[in-house]
Amino acid sequence: MATDTAQAPSASHSVRKQLLGPHKFRLFGRNRDWWIKLFFEGNAAISIVVLLLIVFTLFREAAGFIPGNRQNLEVYRRAGLEYVDILRRQTEDYAALGRQLSATRLAWSEHLRAQGLPQAEITARLDAIDTLDTRLADAIGTHQEILSEMIDHASSVKERVKVGHDMAEVRQNLLSGIPGATPEHAAELQTQADAVVIEEVDYATEINVLTNRFPEIQAANRNLTGELGEIAAALPQADDRAIARQLSHLADALRDFRKSIPERESEFVRWRADRPVSFFESLNAFAFGRDWITASFWQDWYGVLPLFFGSVFISLISLAIAIPLGICAALYVNQVAPPGEQRLIKPYIEFISAIPSVVLGFFGIAVLGETLRQVSQVEWLSWIPGFPMQERLNAFTAAALLALMAIPTIFTLAEDALQNVPRALREASLALGATRMQTMLRITLPAALSGITAAVLLGFGRVIGETMVVLLCAGNRIAVPDFTAGLGVAFQPVHTMTGIVAQEMGEVVRGSLHYRALFMVGCLLFLLSLGINYGAQKIVRHYRLPQS
Amino acid sequence: MSESSYFPPRRSILRKPSWAARLESSFFVLLRVATYGVLLAAAAIFIDIGWKGGRVVFQAAPPFINVPFLTQAPETLNVFTLDGQTVKMGDRDFRAYKAANPEKLRDVHVSTYVYSAGGIFPNIVGTVLLVLGSMVIALALGVCSAVYLSEYAKDGPFIRLLRLSIANLAGVPSIVFGLFGFGLFVVAFDWNVSLIAGWFTLAFMVLPIIITASEEALRAVPKGLREGSLALGATKFQTIRTNVLPYALPGILTSSVLAIARVAGETAPIMFTAAYVVRDQMPWQVEQWTDFFFQGVMALPYHIYVVASKIPQNDYTSDVQYGTAFVFLFTVAAIALAAILLRARMRKKYRW
Repeated sequence: MATDTAQAPSASHSVRKQLLGPHKFRLFGRNRDWWIKLFFEGNAAISIVVLLLIVFTLFREAAGFIPGNRQNLEVYRRAGLEYVDILRRQTEDYAALGRQLSATRLAWSEHLRAQGLPQAEITARLDAIDTLDTRLADAIGTHQEILSEMIDHASSVKERVKVGHDMAEVRQNLLSGIPGATPEHAAELQTQADAVVIEEVDYATEINVLTNRFPEIQAANRNLTGELGEIAAALPQADDRAIARQLSHLADALRDFRKSIPERESEFVRWRADRPVSFFESLNAFAFGRDWITASFWQDWYGVLPLFFGSVFISLISLAIAIPLGICAALYVNQVAPPGEQRLIKPYIEFISAIPSVVLGFFGIAVLGETLRQVSQVEWLSWIPGFPMQERLNAFTAAALLALMAIPTIFTLAEDALQNVPRALREASLALGATRMQTMLRITLPAALSGITAAVLLGFGRVIGETMVVLLCAGNRIAVPDFTAGLGVAFQPVHTMTGIVAQEMGEVVRGSLHYRALFMVGCLLFLLSLGINYGAQKIVRHYRLPQS
Repeated sequence: MSESSYFPPRRSILRKPSWAARLESSFFVLLRVATYGVLLAAAAIFIDIGWKGGRVVFQAAPPFINVPFLTQAPETLNVFTLDGQTVKMGDRDFRAYKAANPEKLRDVHVSTYVYSAGGIFPNIVGTVLLVLGSMVIALALGVCSAVYLSEYAKDGPFIRLLRLSIANLAGVPSIVFGLFGFGLFVVAFDWNVSLIAGWFTLAFMVLPIIITASEEALRAVPKGLREGSLALGATKFQTIRTNVLPYALPGILTSSVLAIARVAGETAPIMFTAAYVVRDQMPWQVEQWTDFFFQGVMALPYHIYVVASKIPQNDYTSDVQYGTAFVFLFTVAAIALAAILLRARMRKKYRW
């Protein structure tokens, strides 16, 4: 249509010229229509400009992250924090052994209580394991002492490095004021800048303080190896099979830890303070880091993995709810419902999409979370994995509400796709004697599959980009979901990419590493949404049915 | 949809329904249950907020509407026991009372609850301002873009790029728009947290919706109207101005009402660009008129977020939470409903 109407003005132009005389208005040799067209064209181009501006702004603010994080990691290594963390990991893993022992003891004592034994008898029977508990805790004592001294040292070094950086920045700021200042003022600035003391931290000697502790660690490890062997050998026997299994697991864990000690020691030996931090190491620490720890006294980590997993995980749960419901509703409205019902349901579902997300989030906090928890505490539902729920606000609470947001998107687009299936296909199937259900499931649905897939993808895009519901209802615990819990993993609290941006953006210092990390998350979200959108468009175009 | 046997025809009582027929009808029941399940879930939200929030906003005695809630600013609630009675007072009343009889409150323990007294008037005003400004910007840009797309554009690389941008812009998450607005308007342009930063952020966010809706409305105007005008010697722009836009305008406006619902309902884009948790002045209390554009405002959605998650929860906060959610949800819902109804009417009225 646009092409043939566009021909018309030039055709009428010569006529007008003859009848009315030439146009008066001319600017840079162009007539008025040309300028008007340019105006509209420029307006239309704003969409492109906005998209480019988004890309530009996000990447500009995020750009400093990789070098900044590189410096962050470099200080972590140079100041020896990384070295200390090897020992810290060892003690943390060891603490897990202690927890396992306590859990076994608890299970055992409950088992004995269930047998109806008196308290004194239970204590007597558990005496052996209690002794081991104390021994286990004592065996790591030397390590902990060394660790805490090393932590003190390393963090003081880091603090000095940080002060040095700050001072260098102060000096830089003073010096940058000199060009353009009056001579007296410039001289004053120069003296001020010269007065700034920048302490150069001598990393080598500071690291030596740490590495000199290695023989002590080795000695402590020899001691620990012996102790662990004895503890594992001294584990008591239980007559109950479940408890015996737990005890043998514990013995295995003790043995594994004992075996890992030489490997941990070689980690100390292999560690080098002057190994440079590469660009990719910095990027990897963001893309594959499992910790998002900010404003910590020890070391800040910006690993997006737990947030990414959280976002995708919530989206998948909500799609698992929304896809069946959305498509069933689309099938019902398009194929089954009488026209009157159709006219009511369609606007109603569209109307659902107008519920503001913050209201849904508030509903989740105020009503849904508590209701779900009470439901999960019902006795006869305890077979469901993850019930009773530990937390009121968790991935499932958020996902259930997000599903309600995704359903209108999926419904509307899927219904359109069903509507676009040529009548002939359906009629041919019915004429061959297929029932209406067979026609729906084997003819109409497969024919509309491309449109439905696109609908699902766009629903996914809507869900993964949603902020307020996940911020309010997902529980906001930054951790990769623990998939060993089976299906119960759905009831764990998680944090999301959108949530972290909304939560932390308001509180960060502009230009800081944390600020840039949040923009990195924004970039990731943006690219993800572009990818999803592109995929949806591709699918629709690629599998389009010939229209009859 | 001319197949009229939407449910399988009722069989005669003499014949047992076949296995296939029974399967089919149970399948249809399943579809129906799923559909109505969705509708019920949404209804549950409306009923819960309508019931609990309605009790805050409405009251049994005349004037039946809780006027202070709608016309006052949020205040801190002070609760204390006086002469054996629990007294609840907003901050302003409390100060006046304290000044009037200081000795009475000397040994009384007063517990305070932020934002739990007063009303939400500044928030309503802020939201209205945000919606108005951003819609003006978005409509101006969007309608002009749509005019270009439907009246001038010829297929080519530029148009393909344009359509690609619009489609992708529509899928960008709202929080990313928030980050963009913060990075560009608040930081780079140095507008700080301000109305104008929020306007542009929101306007760019709804731009794709407005463009798509306007283009649809413009394309619905029959070709004959354009050709008639051009044949009479009108220029292209005269044709658009007199013979296309007036007929497309109702369609453009109705479709834009849905965009209003979207703008009003979003929280994430204004969190760092335009919204303040609390502000004492009303938007019109500015020294210079230019300051009007560069001031942050309180907004309803942000207020819900703040009272629902940022402040300690107790019995007294639930009133303001539900009251705000009620006002907000039903305003947005009313706008959306109006849009849907208007569009249904439009489709019947302007069918060329």
